Parts: sequence; C-alpha cells; structure tokens
Amino acid sequence: MGRLLIFGFFSILAILSGIGIITLRNPVYVVVALLSSLIAVAGIFFTAGAELVGALQLLIYAVAIAVFYIIVISAVPWEKAKKSESHYRFEGLISLPVVLFLYIEMIVVFLLGVKASPEGKIAKFIEKFGNTEVIGAILFSKYFLAFEVVSIVLLMGMIGAVLIGRKESQTYEDDTA
Amino acid sequence: MKTIPLEAFLTVSMILFGLGLIGIIARRNLVTVLMSLELALNAVNIALVGADHYLGLAEGQIFALFIIALAATEAAVGLGIIIAIFRLKKVESTDEIRELRG
Repeated sequence: MGRLLIFGFFSILAILSGIGIITLRNPVYVVVALLSSLIAVAGIFFTAGAELVGALQLLIYAVAIAVFYIIVISAVPWEKAKKSESHYRFEGLISLPVVLFLYIEMIVVFLLGVKASPEGKIAKFIEKFGNTEVIGAILFSKYFLAFEVVSIVLLMGMIGAVLIGRKESQTYEDDTA
Repeated sequence: MKTIPLEAFLTVSMILFGLGLIGIIARRNLVTVLMSLELALNAVNIALVGADHYLGLAEGQIFALFIIALAATEAAVGLGIIIAIFRLKKVESTDEIRELRG
C-alpha cells in the first residue's frame, strides 16, 4: 500500500511536469519541468524495483542530458521564438484528435494483449541474485551484440555531433552580428 | 510483492506519451520539440519497466537501458543540428525551416 502511494505521488509529479513541458513559454522553465519529470520517472523506476535503470536515469538523463539542453539554450537566442510561440497555433488543434486516437488504440491493444502474457521465469533468479546482477548477466550474454551495436551508435552520434556543430572559419567570416 | 498493478504503469505511460506527442506537434521552438521527444521516450521506458515488474522478467529493463543510450545519442546529434541550423539561417522556429538545403 505504501508503495502504491509513492507510485501515485511520482506519477502525478511526472504528469504535472509533462503538462508544464508542453505549456510553459520560457525554454528555461521547460528545461526545469523536464528535469522534474525525469526525476519523477526515476522514482517510478525505483518503486517498480528497477534500481539499475533508475540510477542510470538519474545519472544520464537528469544530469547529463539536462545540462546539455541548458548549454544549447544558452547558445541559441530564444527571445524571438518566445514571441512567436504566443501566436495562435493550428497544429496544436490537430494534435488533440491524433492523441485521442492513440489513446484508444493503446486501450484496445492493452485489453487484447493482457491475456496473452507469459508467466515470469526469471523472477526466481531476481529474488536470489538481485536486480543488477541479473540484468548484467543477461545483458552480457543474450544481448551482447545489441550492446555492442548501441556502443557503436553512441560513437557515431558523438562524431556526428562534433562534425555537425563544428564552426568552419572560412564559411562564417562575416558572422560578427 | 506486486503491489502496483500493471494498469497503473500503462496509464501513466500513455498519458506521458500523449503529452510528448502534443509537444512534438504543437511546439514551435526546436529545442522544446526535442525535449518533448525525450518525454515520449521516458513514457516508453515506464511501460517497459512496468511490464517487467508485472511479469517478473528482466528484458524490459535492458531495453530501457538501450533506449536511454539512444536518447543520449539523439540529444547530441539533434542539438548539434539545431546549432548548425541557427548558425546558417539565424532561426530556431520549426515554421521557418521549410527547405532542406543549408
């Protein structure tokens, strides 16, 4: 019962912060709302018993990526975007039926698919060894190829970000204003 | 042990994913669009971890870790593209970027 209360608190915090992400006008406030939402999601992970994913959520998302967004917002002047965002936005009206359709689709899929769920086979091992050990054992045996592919994708993303964001001195000589 | 029902996880995940989708469609600022995308990815992570909690598996948490790593890559490349667009065109609104030529 206490776990359910904590889960409810974190989920309400996550949803309120999500509403803040799509409604707040100042991008810095949006980053703060995103940070609050990410921390609440990490709390949901902890209540679900996924300590490793929750800890990595806090480390990678809530620290590294949020700081990254703040650096980029400080590099890009956003006063003009703040002004233009207050105008009437037609696409916002279109997005509501899209989201409604998505909700109905997910409810149908959930009602159809919840019967066909398999029984837990790894639960015994998780109780015996602990969550992090089990995840490490599966990650480095069954999903080792996927792990290596993800690391190659990270390396490619890093090189690509450096190449895209690099400033070439000849091209931008008149970039004084 | 299973005090939290699967429906609660899926409901929170659905609501957060819908909010992220609205943000992706309706916001104008490019950085804010990327942040809404992060919110949608987090909603998927909640669904995966909740299914693990319900079924007693560990695969969903592994895929959640993969999603976190790919979200970091996506943030790096996406923010690099935003800075490049701003350097070339001096705009950062999604309405003003209509052609793909730099």
